[in-house]
Amino acid sequence: MPRPHSSSDSNKIHNAKKAWKDFLVSIKEYRVAIVIALALSVASAALGVFIPKLLGDMTNIAVNSYPEIDFGPILSKVWLVVGLFVGSAILNYIQGYILALVAAKYTKKLREQIIEKITKLPISYFDKHKYGDILSRMTNDIDVMATSLSQEITDITTNLTTLVGVLTIMLTISIELSLIAIVVVPLSVIVVGKIMNFAQKFFLDRQRMLGSLDSRIEEDYAGQAIIKTNSYEPTAIAEFGKINQDLTTLTLKAQVFSALSMPVTQIFTNLGYTAICVLGGVFVVNGRINIGNLQAFVQYVSRFNRPITEIASTMSTIQSLLASSERIFEFLREPEEEPDPEPALEINTVRGEVEFHDVCFSYDKKTPIIKNFSVKVNPGMNVAIVGPTGAGKTTLINLLMRFYDLDSGYITIDGVPIREMRRADVRKLFGMVLQDTWLFSGTVEENLRYGKQFATHDDVRAAAKASNVDHIIEALPKAYKSEISEDSDNISAGEKQLVTIARAMVANPPMMILDEATSNVDTRTEQLIQDSFEKLTHGRTSFVIAHRLSTIRNADLILVLRDGNIVEQGNHEELLKAGGFYAELYNSQFAEN
Amino acid sequence: MLRLLKYLKPYWWQVLLLFAAIGLQVFTNLQLPAQMADIINGGITGENIDYIWQIGLRMLLFIVLGAGCSILSTFLSARIGAYFSRDLRADIFQKVLSFNATDLKNFSTASLINRTTNDVNQVQQTIMMMLSLMLIAPISCVISLVMAIQTAPDMSWIMAVGVVAIVTLITVVMVLVIPKFKIFQKVIDKITLLTRENLTGLKVIRAFNNEGIEKKKFESANAELTNLIIFTEKIMKLTNPLINVIFNGLTLLCTYIGISLLTQNFDYLGDMSAFTQYVTQLMISFLMLSMLFVMLPRANVSAERINEVLKTKPKIVWKDVTSGIPEKIASVEFKDVDFSYPGAKEKVLDKISFKAHAGKTTAFIGSTGSGKSTLINLVPRFYEPTSGEIVVNGIELRKYEKDDLMRRIGLVPQRGVLFSGTVASNIKFGAPNATDQQMKEAARIAQATNFIEKLPGKYNAHIAQGGSNVSGGQKQRLSIARAICKNPDIFIFDDSFSALDMKTDAKLRKALMPVVKDMVVLVVAQRISTIKEADQIIVLDAGKIVGKGRHYELLRTCKVYRGIVKSQLSDKEYAHELEEANA
Repeated sequence: MPRPHSSSDSNKIHNAKKAWKDFLVSIKEYRVAIVIALALSVASAALGVFIPKLLGDMTNIAVNSYPEIDFGPILSKVWLVVGLFVGSAILNYIQGYILALVAAKYTKKLREQIIEKITKLPISYFDKHKYGDILSRMTNDIDVMATSLSQEITDITTNLTTLVGVLTIMLTISIELSLIAIVVVPLSVIVVGKIMNFAQKFFLDRQRMLGSLDSRIEEDYAGQAIIKTNSYEPTAIAEFGKINQDLTTLTLKAQVFSALSMPVTQIFTNLGYTAICVLGGVFVVNGRINIGNLQAFVQYVSRFNRPITEIASTMSTIQSLLASSERIFEFLREPEEEPDPEPALEINTVRGEVEFHDVCFSYDKKTPIIKNFSVKVNPGMNVAIVGPTGAGKTTLINLLMRFYDLDSGYITIDGVPIREMRRADVRKLFGMVLQDTWLFSGTVEENLRYGKQFATHDDVRAAAKASNVDHIIEALPKAYKSEISEDSDNISAGEKQLVTIARAMVANPPMMILDEATSNVDTRTEQLIQDSFEKLTHGRTSFVIAHRLSTIRNADLILVLRDGNIVEQGNHEELLKAGGFYAELYNSQFAEN
Repeated sequence: MLRLLKYLKPYWWQVLLLFAAIGLQVFTNLQLPAQMADIINGGITGENIDYIWQIGLRMLLFIVLGAGCSILSTFLSARIGAYFSRDLRADIFQKVLSFNATDLKNFSTASLINRTTNDVNQVQQTIMMMLSLMLIAPISCVISLVMAIQTAPDMSWIMAVGVVAIVTLITVVMVLVIPKFKIFQKVIDKITLLTRENLTGLKVIRAFNNEGIEKKKFESANAELTNLIIFTEKIMKLTNPLINVIFNGLTLLCTYIGISLLTQNFDYLGDMSAFTQYVTQLMISFLMLSMLFVMLPRANVSAERINEVLKTKPKIVWKDVTSGIPEKIASVEFKDVDFSYPGAKEKVLDKISFKAHAGKTTAFIGSTGSGKSTLINLVPRFYEPTSGEIVVNGIELRKYEKDDLMRRIGLVPQRGVLFSGTVASNIKFGAPNATDQQMKEAARIAQATNFIEKLPGKYNAHIAQGGSNVSGGQKQRLSIARAICKNPDIFIFDDSFSALDMKTDAKLRKALMPVVKDMVVLVVAQRISTIKEADQIIVLDAGKIVGKGRHYELLRTCKVYRGIVKSQLSDKEYAHELEEANA
């Protein structure tokens, strides 16, 4: 059965004017350096322009004084030429270096701004945006900015200067010959442009086809076992072959047309060259120009070509610079989290009383997730949050940690509304162990110390022992100094969760938030996790997203969620007796008894 | 890289033609300066205008010829490159589909995808470059060298000076900068890693109030990167000015030497400008060749990675026809089956023997690493036993023709795997001839009807790549429907139920009962509740069978099993279960 292709859209500028403005404002501090670099590039190009003319002059002096060649004036020209090209090279280097410095420092600044922004955006931003998208701004877009800044900006001035300079000298040598160049070169640029435009269409098609080929490969490789057991290989290969062939046809078209630009330019260049040689020869014979100038002219024509084609390509680089700058500044402009209140309330010694007062919340301000929810949790209480998948159990935790702010109502800890506190002060009160066992790449010990940077090794070790993870860590090749990361596979998922439990224990916060893992944990590790969870919650106010029956039954308070609403609350016996949703849930899951 | 060149073989005459076209193209192009010299020496010095026009015509002829050749070569190189990568890609794809689980594990799927996409593109680009620019460079090198020496033998030493200068420059830059590029990549990777961590660890970082620490870490990597860039740029920015100095210096040298030779022979007037152009051409060719040194190593890495895939020999050999006639009644039997990964000493499975009968459910339970998933993956021959026999429907596994075996197996993998298309195309994936009635029935049993009916277009609803537009549980239910629709002899559920909530899990198993009455059902599970009713539970520990029997039987006899049950029930319930078992 054929599967349809998917397509993706890429680099387009939405508001070029704004993108320019943002870019210019952000790079303002380097304006002096940039202007100097531009000036140097003009000077460097200008110096270079005179060289062919001087070489031609040398020939003229020789030809005119032939057969007695007077080397005196020739040698002085030689030194002048050497001076010019060495000077031009030095200016060119300084200019290039200045811009490279500017680009390096400017992109460094941008990178810092992006990372800073990530820490300041509300969590809700990340619900709506893909990580890959943000990541590509940090890598690809910054890269585009750096390259175009350090290489392309002065290309424009260099090329413009060369163009003007070369044209002027050409005109002084011979207006007729210049006309040939003036007609031929732009003509070739236009023809090539037309061909490229034509090829562009094929390139876009090809890009799309490449995308669908890539996703087909990804899908079929990932589902290889299923393809095999369903004897789908011949169909898969045939389908792949078709996309592959389509891609090949498009590639061929795109390549042929874009590659044609080279021979076409070459033909025009050669035609111009021939015309100038022949006409120039005739002119020399007629005595209208001298031989040295003809030789110089031939060189100038070849220098006249390059700036025009290069300016065209610089224009497209600037387009991508703008597209990248737009993407970066769009991100930097995203609204940040509401600032912490000033002055903020603080809690000195926490008892651990948490209260929800008429809490209403929605992620999008439209569909309410939690409606008028009130509950009082006494110090030391163990609260279990239960409900089917997708019922919004993590929402409650997000609210407690102030990852999101309420639509209305308020949450208090020991009577202090958390909205009146600094976020950092609220979060300090909770230890958090999530199913998503995030570890940063670093050593085990560094990870364990994440919540308390100055914890001693003994503290860390004690916490690891209490979390039943000490022997696992000791079994690693470098024990506590072993490198681990989010996607490292030297320890299992369950063991990673144990590490995150130990991490919370090292921090030793007054209250706990836990999310029990459901799957992918083997039975033995699960027992260890359960055991350390119990230690962690003992005597602390704790909120647990519960999957395990024992946790639920032992909880002081159960909050039952359904479709985002808290439909019931109470302890196990009460809820069972009430015969509502909890009872139904319980009976369906543990019906055997 | 060289090994992949065999993919050019079917196009050998096109490659030959390309060589010829490029040779001619370069030759005609380089004729122009010689003609220019002729204009100066014969026409101008001899004041012969007719001669000049005559040469002009000759130049036109060369241009037309050259243009024809260059258009032909453009077309040929694009064509060869495109077909080359098409064939290569098709071969890799086919190869990967034939891989077994060990191969897949060795390479990892992500890396295989990369090899088929990015690496092929990289190689294709290099091949195209090689077929155009890289062919032109050496040819043009040789021809311009020959023509320069022909034109003005007295000046040829200037070429030597030029070549030495440019080669020195290229070498110095490469020696200084290329090692830095490696470090460069590492630092860039670090920046990416830290950014990624800041994103994936968003909540944890904020929960621990560690935004400041993360920022500091990033800043130090950022500073490192910036310093490295500044260092490399200091050298890199030297290249262009220095190349200019070399070009200008050579032109000056040619002119000056040419002038000083005029007293010996006035023909140097024309020859020196032709010579200058040959020297320039030679220098450009060298620069182009140096690009080859930058590109080739990168393409080589890609080519190497592709070769690794293509070189892999299939480890599992299938029979062309099944030898023997399988029994009508479905069954699966393991006889003393051992399995270990190639090269590993440790056995993943150790002397596994059991028989699973039609209409009965055999369940496998054990901790991670106990080998239960590997065990059931032996049935569709994703792995091959190191010793022992597996018999399906009375015939040894190795005697089956592939499709003949596969049509008897309905596999539901751990993670729901879907393909882009529609709900219907996914359910009918293994049974293209199934009727809509059968498809809907399969969906009903898999508890998928409810959500399918809610989708826009129902059974014709679009499924995105990898099923990314449906939830994990829905994916799993559709994969189960796919296996049901195939109506196999043997059902394999590889931990397929843990993505479902317990309620759906229970309902599904109930609906499945009547369907599987003639089938062998093999289930790997984590939850006791999923397998409690199984006719035969096999408890695995470190690759060995440590218990075999029904739930209550095992509760009495198997310590490992008791441990597993205990971890999943409350103390009270566990006590109850034990009581029940002993009653």
